Amino acid sequence: MKYFQTNESILFGLLVLLCIFLSFYNPQFYSIQNIHSILRSSSTVMIVAFGMTILLTSGEVDLSVGALMSFVTVIVMDVINITGSISLGLIAVFGFCLLIGLINGLVRTVLNVNSLIATLAMMLILQGSVYVYSMAAIYNTHLIPLFSFIGQGFFLNIPMPVVIMLFILPFFVVLLNYTRYGRYFSSIGSNPDAAKLSGINNNRYKVLGFVITSLLVGVSGVILASLMDTGQQGSAKGFELIVIAAVLLGGTSFMGGKGTIIGTILGILILKIIDNGIILMRIPQEFQLIVPGFILILAVYFDGIRKKNSG
Amino acid sequence: MNNILKYLRKGELALFIIFLIVFIIFSFSSEYFFTLRNIMNVSGQLSIILIAAIGFSVLLIAGEVDISIGSLLAFVSLPLIEIMNITGSVPLGIILCLIFGIIIGLINGYLSVYLGVSSLIVTLGMLFILRGAVYLYTGQRAIPDELMSDFFFYIGNGKFMGTIPYAAIIGLVILLIFIFVMRNTSYGRKLYAVGGNQEVARLAGYNIKLLKLSAFVICSFLSSISAIILASRIGSANHVAGDLFEFQVVAAVVLGGVSLAGGIGSLTGAAIGVLILSVISNGLGLLNIDTQWQLVVNGVIIIIAVGFDELKRNR
Amino acid sequence: MVSGKKIVVDINFKELKIESVSKSFPGVQALDNVSMKISAGKVHALMGENGAGKSTLIKILAGAYSKDTGNILFDENKLNIRNPNDSLNYGIKVVYQEISLISEFSVAENIFLDNFPTNSLGVMNWNKLYKDTEELFNRVGFNLNPKSKIADLSISQQQMVEIARAVFKNASVVIMDEPTSSLTPNEIEKLFTVIKNLKQNNIAILYVTHKIDEIFKIADEVTVLRDGQHISNKLISETNEELIIKDMVGRTVNATFERPKDILNAKTVMKVNKISSKNKIKNVSFDLHEGEILGFFGLMGAGRTELAKAVFGYDKITDGQIEVNNNIYKSFNTSTMVNNGIGYITEDRKGEGIVKDMNLRENMSLPSLKIFEDLFIINQKKEKKAADEYIKKFSVKTPSSERLITLLSGGNQQKVLVSRWLIRELKIIILDEPTRGVDIGAKTEVLSLINDLAKQGLSVLLMTSEMNDLLSLSDRILVMADGKISKEFYRGKVTQEEIFKASVN
Repeated sequence: MKYFQTNESILFGLLVLLCIFLSFYNPQFYSIQNIHSILRSSSTVMIVAFGMTILLTSGEVDLSVGALMSFVTVIVMDVINITGSISLGLIAVFGFCLLIGLINGLVRTVLNVNSLIATLAMMLILQGSVYVYSMAAIYNTHLIPLFSFIGQGFFLNIPMPVVIMLFILPFFVVLLNYTRYGRYFSSIGSNPDAAKLSGINNNRYKVLGFVITSLLVGVSGVILASLMDTGQQGSAKGFELIVIAAVLLGGTSFMGGKGTIIGTILGILILKIIDNGIILMRIPQEFQLIVPGFILILAVYFDGIRKKNSG
Repeated sequence: MNNILKYLRKGELALFIIFLIVFIIFSFSSEYFFTLRNIMNVSGQLSIILIAAIGFSVLLIAGEVDISIGSLLAFVSLPLIEIMNITGSVPLGIILCLIFGIIIGLINGYLSVYLGVSSLIVTLGMLFILRGAVYLYTGQRAIPDELMSDFFFYIGNGKFMGTIPYAAIIGLVILLIFIFVMRNTSYGRKLYAVGGNQEVARLAGYNIKLLKLSAFVICSFLSSISAIILASRIGSANHVAGDLFEFQVVAAVVLGGVSLAGGIGSLTGAAIGVLILSVISNGLGLLNIDTQWQLVVNGVIIIIAVGFDELKRNR
Repeated sequence: MVSGKKIVVDINFKELKIESVSKSFPGVQALDNVSMKISAGKVHALMGENGAGKSTLIKILAGAYSKDTGNILFDENKLNIRNPNDSLNYGIKVVYQEISLISEFSVAENIFLDNFPTNSLGVMNWNKLYKDTEELFNRVGFNLNPKSKIADLSISQQQMVEIARAVFKNASVVIMDEPTSSLTPNEIEKLFTVIKNLKQNNIAILYVTHKIDEIFKIADEVTVLRDGQHISNKLISETNEELIIKDMVGRTVNATFERPKDILNAKTVMKVNKISSKNKIKNVSFDLHEGEILGFFGLMGAGRTELAKAVFGYDKITDGQIEVNNNIYKSFNTSTMVNNGIGYITEDRKGEGIVKDMNLRENMSLPSLKIFEDLFIINQKKEKKAADEYIKKFSVKTPSSERLITLLSGGNQQKVLVSRWLIRELKIIILDEPTRGVDIGAKTEVLSLINDLAKQGLSVLLMTSEMNDLLSLSDRILVMADGKISKEFYRGKVTQEEIFKASVN
């Protein structure tokens, strides 16, 4: 029960209430197709959010994840179209993501540019260069079944994106909660001087955080490309804001020092189920933007109040 | 010229030189670039970003941030166009648009300053809420200006004596006013103090909350003026107006040396930042370079400018 | 933007009275029923060790804290201080010890920060601002350019700005919190002239310090606080140094520890060779022997902390080298030093010591997580056991090792930070002001702990400004001034005066 400390338990309660409410309102909510669709669309967000949780915990942020993800869909589709090899496509994607993560990390640590600015600049650079790379959408002309399977397939009746997410999840739960790296990330975010004076090489772990996040974007980008069956600039536009909002809703602090993967997952599920509910209840889809906005502000506000009361 | 240079502080001087270099390169590369007509065009276009950047800088200087300005741009153009269409009165539309802007600023400020939620989160939430509200209201279609008043058309498209765009004049006047306010009034100096060292400002007896709240309102108010000019230029309230606007403004302002940490930077610097990015975008366009390269160039310039600044400071 | 209307005060009061003021924070009674009277035209010294309640009292007078009970009065008129603004309107001005200026502003702007000269529209009158500042400086005898940016000034110049700001006008009470801590003797003389000037203007002065010699030069009266309580109040002519010290500490401080005699013959564990850093340190060399306590003394700004941080790899060295464990390092970081068995305990516990989002156990194990690892996973049982062991050993007051570190008192946090290094194998420990912020009773405890550790073979670099700590523990003393080592002394062959002389140098 260690996970369900105050914040998580409230989020969990909220989630349960949402599910109960929606299932009363529309029994379709519990249909297999609907649950699959919720989980599938949650997975791509979650995978990137694991990395973002680490970054925010260590006091950094990456605004370039959406632009990078769009770029990844283009690269993976194009490279596989040309070479006919999924492995080469993946190598190209992860090589590229590794490079971008390293650049983000080094600009942050070596040039000492605030990560909000550094990754904003990276976002502009990626957004521009993906257009330059290919203005038009790149369609799947290779038609390799395995590639479509990544995003659209099922394993034991579970959508593949969910399987991939569940495969990655334990690493991050363990990493953040049970290894020294998790402690390092959170001490660097909470008190960088204390971390440094404890012999921790802050910059190394910050770069690591950026690299991990970029690589995870690679994973999500490949899934997205497979789901859409295209690679397209702008396909993950605004993704960075959704990821950050979900992580913050999950209880990770923007000021660093406090991060929880479970909270992040709950945050994403809540946002995605609200999305889903809005469709099921035939409420105008525009509320998919409005409601999360309110929830984000409220969640952080109540978190602040609770902290004040507890000490 | 000497007088102008004296006014620019060290950092601003460096920026100004970057600007001159960019300017000269483009002048040689495109014969159309250094023509009165082009320069006037650029000045008209950049005023939309400039005006919002002024408000954004004021808020950053006071130690807070507002990333909802892009959504706000789209949101406040709704009352503007709708009221004009319904009542046939341009002033009424403008007034209502500005009032909406002020109210949003008050809400952002109240939530951040009085309820103590980080302004980044409040305005991130507001970014979603306003954009969603715009989509909801418009059904994701642009609402055209049906009044077609000449006066409204001229705000964004007209030119004084046929040469100087009114938008540029509005931008310049606002810039000069706020440069003066931030430099030479006690109110401006207090905003600097609050952003520079909140504890000191508190001990000096400043009403920090009210000061910050006012900065939020200024930011939203000026962004609403940008919205009016934009709506006039495109002749409608567009549901996707202001998309990525907040990022453009942040980029320009930070390039201009305004610090995200608060209390540091000047409006002159911010204006030069806007100028540099706008001129680059215009020059690249004239050179028939893919417009998307602009984004890349902007990104690289920001990293170099801010990184260089940091390296210098750490030396 | 100054809120509300100005309260008109009758500045012609005879006494500022503090009556039975109490203030408590969670777990601490910071002020317990304290009363005192500060007369107009007199200098009233307030003395006490760290944690005696001086700062709390200052902050209550300044309106930064609200008092729990009690009254503050000008003669018989009760003051209603709800916020800093009220306090300023009553003419109560505080010169804080830590510089509280806007570093991007000019000297003049900082001095008139709470009352910029403007016209009715709020437009700054720069000419008047600079002229008034100039005049003020002439009046108090400071030599500063009103247009200089604060960031470009030295610490002592900044301190002068602080003082000038407090006294510039409408002052009825001026509170000075350790005003001389970063001033040169010459500047101190100037400050005393200013204070005499203030006295003649019938201003009441509360002078907070721990430098006893100063109060005999400047104060008329002295009040001593200890552990939040009022201990004594005497006219300066009725007291002497010993009495004051006795009141402050409650007992005579004279703990001298037995130290092994031949320690300097032990093998060398660290050789620091001509290191310099961007932060002040110039060409510093020394050796450290096994089990030795090497004391570094220096006044504020002499570079003790900077040296400690350069040696530990926190600040990069620009020149020179350090030899530990037969490895020579020219470029290294903190993890290099930690891996070589060196630990560091900061003087800034809150800013650089504790990690506030972590509990006691996690704070304790932070540098040593590797020793608790089974494969890649931290064995929390092992970790908890180690934490419990040190909680018991140092009798840390906490319900469990899982308590959030911020919920512990300062002294207990300090014990956790010491344990942070002791749970791992350590050869050298760097201690920066280890007794700062520790209450008197625990002070001796800390000192004897250091002594015990050294006897077990740990080498200690002790950076301190406490003469008592320095003399009672150090085998050797290196005195620092202006980033350099100015003199070396040996245990038992040195007097306080000699050390002080070397540090002023």
